[in-house]
Amino acid sequence: MMEKLKTVLWPLGFGVAFLTVWQLGWFHALLDLAPFQLPVPLEIVDTLMAKLPKAMNDCGVTVSGALAGMVLGSTIGFLVAVVATMFPKWGYGGLIVISAINAIPIVALSPIMNRWFATGMEQKIGVVTVVTMAAMAINAYRGLNDLRPFTLDLMKSYAAPGPTVFFHLRLPNALPGVFTALKINITTAMIAAIVSEYFAASTSGLGFGIKDNLRKAEMATGWAYITIASVAGVLLFLIIAFIERKALKWHASQRSEH
Amino acid sequence: MKTNTWGVGLVWVAALALAWEWGAHILAVDLHDPMAASKLPYLHSVVSTLITNAGPLADAAGVTFAQAATGFVLGALIGYVLAVLMSVSRTVERIAFPYLIISQMIPVLGLAPIIFNLVRDMNASRILIAAYITFFPVAANTLSGFRSVDREKRQLLDSYAAGLPTVYFKLMIPFSVPHLFAGLKIAAPLSVTASILVDMLGSKDGIGVKLLYALYGGNMDIFWASVVTSALMGMVSYLVVLLAEKIVVPWEDLGNLGGAR
Repeated sequence: MMEKLKTVLWPLGFGVAFLTVWQLGWFHALLDLAPFQLPVPLEIVDTLMAKLPKAMNDCGVTVSGALAGMVLGSTIGFLVAVVATMFPKWGYGGLIVISAINAIPIVALSPIMNRWFATGMEQKIGVVTVVTMAAMAINAYRGLNDLRPFTLDLMKSYAAPGPTVFFHLRLPNALPGVFTALKINITTAMIAAIVSEYFAASTSGLGFGIKDNLRKAEMATGWAYITIASVAGVLLFLIIAFIERKALKWHASQRSEH
Repeated sequence: MKTNTWGVGLVWVAALALAWEWGAHILAVDLHDPMAASKLPYLHSVVSTLITNAGPLADAAGVTFAQAATGFVLGALIGYVLAVLMSVSRTVERIAFPYLIISQMIPVLGLAPIIFNLVRDMNASRILIAAYITFFPVAANTLSGFRSVDREKRQLLDSYAAGLPTVYFKLMIPFSVPHLFAGLKIAAPLSVTASILVDMLGSKDGIGVKLLYALYGGNMDIFWASVVTSALMGMVSYLVVLLAEKIVVPWEDLGNLGGAR
């Protein structure tokens, strides 16, 4: 009990101390900053409360774009992994191509998508789709192919047809990898959506809010938007982790029956 | 087998190049898209722009890349030190670990404009943001490396009454190196992206500035050449880490591709 309490109290105490030092302006003294350059926590909270409706609206725009792009990108990535599994000789090249596309920085991708799509939402989904393909393709491919020894031989000895092998052996085996990829992708998707909004023509979304408010020197609003983006990121991650726990519990229990 | 893999790769590259040219042709000639040159220019014109502008592009890329690399090394060092401290002291771990986990869920790059606004110096903020973004994956992965050291090995050293420095230099640090590289491989392309982002937020030089000017100036060939250059920078950063890994830990299996954690 004491140990558990310590695990909670130490980081909590550190966080509170950090915010207090920040609130008291010691960082400003240390880094030689004027109060308008770095707003203090209570000011950020006040601003956040005052602008909550608009900020939540912007948050909804960004999150829906990030989610739509993530679903699209992860689906494409998974399909590439499936094709690469079915045609090992030629399909593996597809994985390498997707990894290479993944190397294009988000900041370079955004202007390209600006050309391709008319609205900010389409552009955002386009960027997120491209940056979420690779993690899913690679992790799913690994799960579909790193089978436990002799499982494939067993399937062959049953004369199991291809679809059976796929749905009863490869797909369940890929599930943990798929969730790993989703957890990577949800963070990537939020970053990509926000960064793409820095450069989009649209006038909504968290990224636009951050950039626009900093341009207008409204630092506290900028920080409030960052806070919302972080909370949204953590919540989305936790939702996926929750689904993972549910889904893999089923997976593990299936396994222990054998 | 080796030549076979190369053959397959060659066919893929050729097919992609053909698809690009064909796509550009359809867009420009068959669809009469007035934006064809900006949506998807011919591959050969991008390549020729890349070659004729190789000098200025390489200069701009060099500026951005150098800052990214400095920040990357700085962030990796601090991240590694924090991981060591966390594995030595239970208290430090208790304090820092929750924040390390949360940091992997929040959109860190969103902070770039704020840091840029605070620091106001483009070189310093390029380095700072690249370091900041490198720090988390390196610290998290190295710590998981320290944690996965076999308990028996640790106990053996303890039974020799080995001091803390000996335990670290003989066991923990060598054992954690593959995990360190896993973190570095995630961080390297990210630090390049961060550096380019700061370019675009209002620097005077660097590949991001070139990209933005070409975009606003309507010079689509330069724009696409800059995009290709920045993509190459991302790949180069990854390959450099991969090469370093091959030299430092030649016994590790390097069969994994980028982007996986």
